[in-house]
Amino acid sequence: MAIDSNSPSFVSQLCFGSILEEQILPYPKMKEAEQETFKNIRSSIEQLLRPHEKDFREWDAKGEMPASFIEELKQFGLFSLLIPESHGGMGLSTTAYSRTLQELARWDGSVAVTVGAHSSIGLRGLLLFGTDEQKARFCPKLATGEMIACFCLTEPGAGSDAASIKTHAVRDGDDWVLNGNKLWITNGGIAQFFTVFAKTGGPGERGSVTAFIVTSDMAGVTTGPHEDKMGLRASNTTTVMFDNVRVPAANVLGEVGKGFKVAMKILNSGRTGLGGGSVGVMKKMLTLATKQAKDRVQFGKPIAEYGLIKQKLGTMVVDCYVTEAAVNLVNHLIDSGHEDYAVEAAITKVFASEAMWRTIDEALQVAGGNGFMREFPYERALRDARINRIFEGTNDILRLFISLTSMNEVGSQLKELASSLKGIFDNPIKGFGVISDYARRRAGLASNLIKRENAVFTKLHPAVQPQQQVFEALTRDLATAVDQVLRKHGKNIIGKQFASRRLADMMIDLFVLAATLSRVSTAVSEKGAASVTRELEILEVFTGQVKRRFQANFAQINENDDELVKSLANHALDLDGYTWDNV
Amino acid sequence: MPLKILVTAKRVEDSESKIKVNPAGTGIVLEGLKFKINPFDEIAIEEALRLTAKHGGEVVVVSIGGKEVVEQLRSPALAMGANRAIWVNHVGPMDQLGIAACLQKICEKEKPDLCILGKQAIDDDQGQVGSYLAEALGWSQATFASKEESLESEAEKSKAPAIKLSADGKSVTVVREVDGGLQTIEATLPAVATTELRLNQPRYASLPGIMKAKTKPLEEVTPASLGVDMTPHITVVKMTHPPARKAGIKVADVPALMDKLKNEARAI
Repeated sequence: MAIDSNSPSFVSQLCFGSILEEQILPYPKMKEAEQETFKNIRSSIEQLLRPHEKDFREWDAKGEMPASFIEELKQFGLFSLLIPESHGGMGLSTTAYSRTLQELARWDGSVAVTVGAHSSIGLRGLLLFGTDEQKARFCPKLATGEMIACFCLTEPGAGSDAASIKTHAVRDGDDWVLNGNKLWITNGGIAQFFTVFAKTGGPGERGSVTAFIVTSDMAGVTTGPHEDKMGLRASNTTTVMFDNVRVPAANVLGEVGKGFKVAMKILNSGRTGLGGGSVGVMKKMLTLATKQAKDRVQFGKPIAEYGLIKQKLGTMVVDCYVTEAAVNLVNHLIDSGHEDYAVEAAITKVFASEAMWRTIDEALQVAGGNGFMREFPYERALRDARINRIFEGTNDILRLFISLTSMNEVGSQLKELASSLKGIFDNPIKGFGVISDYARRRAGLASNLIKRENAVFTKLHPAVQPQQQVFEALTRDLATAVDQVLRKHGKNIIGKQFASRRLADMMIDLFVLAATLSRVSTAVSEKGAASVTRELEILEVFTGQVKRRFQANFAQINENDDELVKSLANHALDLDGYTWDNV
Repeated sequence: MPLKILVTAKRVEDSESKIKVNPAGTGIVLEGLKFKINPFDEIAIEEALRLTAKHGGEVVVVSIGGKEVVEQLRSPALAMGANRAIWVNHVGPMDQLGIAACLQKICEKEKPDLCILGKQAIDDDQGQVGSYLAEALGWSQATFASKEESLESEAEKSKAPAIKLSADGKSVTVVREVDGGLQTIEATLPAVATTELRLNQPRYASLPGIMKAKTKPLEEVTPASLGVDMTPHITVVKMTHPPARKAGIKVADVPALMDKLKNEARAI
């Protein structure tokens, strides 16, 4: 499938009521040669990690994995996944890499995040922005694990607001002198390669950030103690301090002053790795839950025979399948060289981290009291999963990012309209010759003159037609919703987080549904409807879920309790909490 | 003395897959099954690699089947460290005599010092090929190779080969697993050995190993090019699942239980 690398984001076009089906059809498959490599990787990973199954629990309790095990991971080659073959690595595509993280996450979250922090974000900046000289200098060592990488952006005062970092670097001769502290750095204590972001502008210059490659052999680099965390306890997390560290100018990553762009690009391309990990955990939970449901007998029958247990298992199946569809699709977009995937990658991160949370929570529920016991794997999985809704962009920030970025283009066209063609919507037909593309589509949708103009799929298999129609209708509704919200709030939408969140949820659901439609339709085309009955059922269930959620969100655009909820929050804020104690 | 060792890598159904007999009862349903290397062959490869690590030499791995067997040849066999592979491209029925004949022809050409095979494959459990091969070649044979030390022992951790080459390089000492104990034999080379589960703990293919395996030499031959007629002498007539266990029954009280045990089960 050839994708025009410059074609716009799928979701941003949905906001115009357009379905860019060529971006998502047919549903992608891993290339055959890579499939073979991946199968080999998978069976080797199993041989590597299965013998440690008991250790993972112990290392979680202890809050550390032994150095000998990290050495084993290095020998095995797990740090070489993304390094190009020419530099001694596996040169995996995003798709195969994400699939590999699935396998790791099935066994242990801490292992997956140790490898993920190294590859997904630690060394990604080098791959994306490094010069040939920098790559030649570091890639071979990063591939063998002689150097483990980490990503140093977060600071005590700069979490979601990454632009407010205080670490700074000042040019001095051929070097930059780096000072500052970084917080919660995954792999911090075991890393030799640090991708560090520091202010390089004058004081008060908010924008000017530069990315640097810092190595542990530079004087003045120190790390703090291992953090005592809720989950992913065996993975190494520390503070990293830079005290007058002299970094050669040759270690600047990308351009001076363009570090923020470097950071965002790294995070955008790293996000699908988390999605991959989540899918792995969900698959494992489904295996555990089905076994538990069949083994556990209550009231004379295995609990698998009871409706409420079946409801949980069925929902888990749907969640797992649709999440995998979305993650795979975005991985493929990235691998095809498509540039504008930031929103879709953010969607996979938000959806996957929440679907994983639900799935583990329900698997734990199926296990009943056992689920609460440390002897069983559920509580650890739940603790390990929680951070996925927080790190690499909190789901809250990402929701705002998803909706504001996607609406941006609609907004700019609206603004144009507002200034030059005031009142055009009073009479759409008259303005056809002059109004912009957007207005024409809007007019078409509003007046039904152009029936379903761009909100159509043409390449889906007829077997998925009922769900296709729902998707097309919801796409038109999304365009209407975006239009309404933007008209109502204008540029103030930035401050309207309730409204943005609602739109984000609509976009997230629609994108995941699009991915699922693609996956199921392609499966029908390849194997025939008779052999994909279950997949058609998954599509039917998920489409129903999306439709109901979407309609609820849509209705709440104009009818909601937003202001009341805000005022209650303000009340609590004023009085520092709850004020209705009876006694 | 460097050793040239020939090993086998049979592709078998993963023992964790659910095996179903096809409706005609002539074989199993292959769809949806996972495949892997026969674990006994994996042990054979490991032993060969330990021997060549100690004495130098070359490990050549052979598999017979359609193009899917190349998967097991590349990984784990070549990825674990075998030097090169020979793929006997054959689609269709075959039996142990045909397989042994192919291996015989390859041995006559390759002239290995030692052949190490799994003592059996976990799919059909025939366990015949090693003996047929030794017989066909007129070589000594050491079946069920095992070792005295446990798989948790220091010897195992140091990856020392359990099959010991004599100082003059003319024979090997093999510890065999026999009923209720161990037997140590010395076999003159060339020889055929077959592996027990307790011979060693095979290494896993590392990721760099998997990458290297992609470019290792893999030679394709056919039974015809080897001059072997694969027409089977044995055909599978019928396959069945073991009979399902009948559900138990509940008895009202102890006398009823005693009655059932006495008169129905005739256990007392």
